[in-house]
Amino acid sequence: MAAGVITVNRDTKPGLWPVMLGMGLVFSNMIKTMFGKELATVQFPEVKRPTSSRYRGIHVLTQREDGTPKCVACYMCATVCPAECIFIEAGERPEKDIEKYPTRFEIDLLRCVYCGFCVDACPEEAIIMSRENDLVGTSRAELIIDRDRLMDRGKLMEYGGGYRPSDHDVRRPVRIAALERLKKEHGIVPGMPEPRSPGGRPASR
Amino acid sequence: MSETKPSPPAGPGAPMPAPPGPPAKPDHVRATIDGKPVEVPKGTTVIQAAAQIGIEIPRFCYHEDLPVDGNCRMCLVEIEKMPKLQIACNTQVTEGMVVQTESAKAKQAHRTTLEFLLVNHPIDCPVCDQAGECYLQDQYMTVGLHDSKVEPEEKVQKRKVVDLGPIMLDAERCVLCSRCLRFESHVTGTNSFEFRNRGDHTQIATFEDRPITHNYAWNLADVCPVGALLSHDFRFKMRVWFLESSDSVCPGCSTGCNIHVDSRDQEVHRLRPRRNVEVNKSWMCDIGRVEYKEIALETRIGAARVRRASSWEETSVATALDLVAEKILAAPRGSAFLATPQATNEDVFLFKRLSERAGGLLDFRVGNPQERTQVREDNVLLRADRNPNTTGCLDQGVGVSGVDAILKACAAGTVKVLVLQGADLLKDAGVAAAVAKVPFVAVMASHEHAELASAHCVLPAAVWAEVDGTFTNYQRRVQRIKRAVAPPGAAVPRWELAAGLLQRLGESLSLSSAREVFALIAKDVKVYAGLDHRLVGATGRAVGGPTPASQEARA
Repeated sequence: MAAGVITVNRDTKPGLWPVMLGMGLVFSNMIKTMFGKELATVQFPEVKRPTSSRYRGIHVLTQREDGTPKCVACYMCATVCPAECIFIEAGERPEKDIEKYPTRFEIDLLRCVYCGFCVDACPEEAIIMSRENDLVGTSRAELIIDRDRLMDRGKLMEYGGGYRPSDHDVRRPVRIAALERLKKEHGIVPGMPEPRSPGGRPASR
Repeated sequence: MSETKPSPPAGPGAPMPAPPGPPAKPDHVRATIDGKPVEVPKGTTVIQAAAQIGIEIPRFCYHEDLPVDGNCRMCLVEIEKMPKLQIACNTQVTEGMVVQTESAKAKQAHRTTLEFLLVNHPIDCPVCDQAGECYLQDQYMTVGLHDSKVEPEEKVQKRKVVDLGPIMLDAERCVLCSRCLRFESHVTGTNSFEFRNRGDHTQIATFEDRPITHNYAWNLADVCPVGALLSHDFRFKMRVWFLESSDSVCPGCSTGCNIHVDSRDQEVHRLRPRRNVEVNKSWMCDIGRVEYKEIALETRIGAARVRRASSWEETSVATALDLVAEKILAAPRGSAFLATPQATNEDVFLFKRLSERAGGLLDFRVGNPQERTQVREDNVLLRADRNPNTTGCLDQGVGVSGVDAILKACAAGTVKVLVLQGADLLKDAGVAAAVAKVPFVAVMASHEHAELASAHCVLPAAVWAEVDGTFTNYQRRVQRIKRAVAPPGAAVPRWELAAGLLQRLGESLSLSSAREVFALIAKDVKVYAGLDHRLVGATGRAVGGPTPASQEARA
């Protein structure tokens, strides 16, 4: 018999007992809901359900100590974004150590699929995610949020920080995969001695 | 092993494979590169021979159109019977040579060389515009992948963000390949760059940071294999991997440099030279390179319009064509047509046929085009004739009545309908005065101009990057241009406008592409007989022998 299929004996006569059993379940749940502590329902929006520290909510653009965006407008997030919801316009910073910064950085939160790839792709930890998830607006245009709103951490971080690269080093698996490919294709691991054929000549390919 | 070759003592390694096939042609040698046989003229270098059979040897300092320098040591290959690795860019192929470009020894050399080149590299790829088309990045991902042995703090700091006019210099990213030095000395002869300091403090610089002032500055950004020299114009505009490239020809002058048109989302972001040894090698001038800015201007015309009393009325292209055809039919003998050498051969051909159908006057521009087409403005590429298709107009015999005769007829009032293929003629003050006397002037225009006020009907025309077609350059070389982006609004290619008018004048035409129009040209114009778009191909085709003045030697 396939799992999950139950057999019901239709011969037994229905009586009061099954009804009482059902009502018992209803009342016990009602009492739990009215007086119990572990409730299924939360009083949203006054009360919010707790989320994981890796929750992928609305994005945050992080800042340097001087309040400028950490972002260097490299377009990695816009490149990797599967929903194509990130728009960046790059400009020139007067400081010569970091020449580039975003003059415009917009995310269309209605297009975003909250996959977190932008956070993984970012080389500067400039874009991270918050745990905010109640996305409310009166127009679509309102939910395309710009650089200044993305940098407004106070409001966005109300729920606490979400997904960010410090959780795990996202670049490491990529690099390991690249090294493995190099080894497979060319039989070479940088920093390791070359395999040699018995004739003393380097094994070619 | 080949019988003809003196048999060398058997080495410890694998037996040398004999170059297969028949003996080499005179002045040719045969070699084997990565197991593939190749036959090349004497004097060919290994890197060129490898390129012929589709093997790309990594390189930094070697450039097809610059003299060999051999300083980067990246192109090391293993050649049998040579004790040490040799640089492929400066080693000539000899008979029976056996080359390994990907042997373990060669690969190890590539990795080591690359590691040396990267010792002082700042690794600022996220802010570097070269990222995505950078030799360093590409080579690191294919042969490098090493961990740097140098901490970022230990690296030699060099000058960054040095503004050299059209070019930005970042000396930290430089690999000292000297391509820019060789470009400056051998192509432009300006010698702006020089190496400064010694050892790992060596860096390129111009004297007193003077800006690059010649007309070929942006080629420096192209020849630079890394992000040391970058175009100021393209700086931070777009990451290159978003761009789609389409092949075309620069419309800036009669040289007709082959180019790539790089666009994203129907917007052209830059033009790059495309290698064509017969025309422009790997270069193009800065005047040509800014041609893209014309394409997406606010002043582009996207709808047809007709003058009503004192104001303009926007109409559909079909309605406007109806009106123009009606005016031509009303006074067929009093019609005049002025073509433009900015238009493609296809445009010009149908425009000429239109004038023949109507029986009106026809010519294409002021002055002596034949001479100007050939005159060089500098010793590199730019020509005095800033029109891409003057030779095409001449070949098709558009210069019939003489522009002066047409203007005289206009001034005398015998011309009732004047059709202009481009708005460029209206910019001439003398022309404008004559045109003012004509009761009905129709203009195929792409951009708004104050001069359009003297027109009675404006037909929206697509520009060069928005159409398929061919240009004939000063050498009488027919070259393809391809549609890279869509024209704005209702704008259509000029040949479609001419075809629409021809149909309204009673000619039965069923043309759906520029290719079909070119088939008609090939039937009608003797020098283009037997050609079609496919035969013209990617790098064009020279036809009908040299034009009168093209004997002049080219650099």
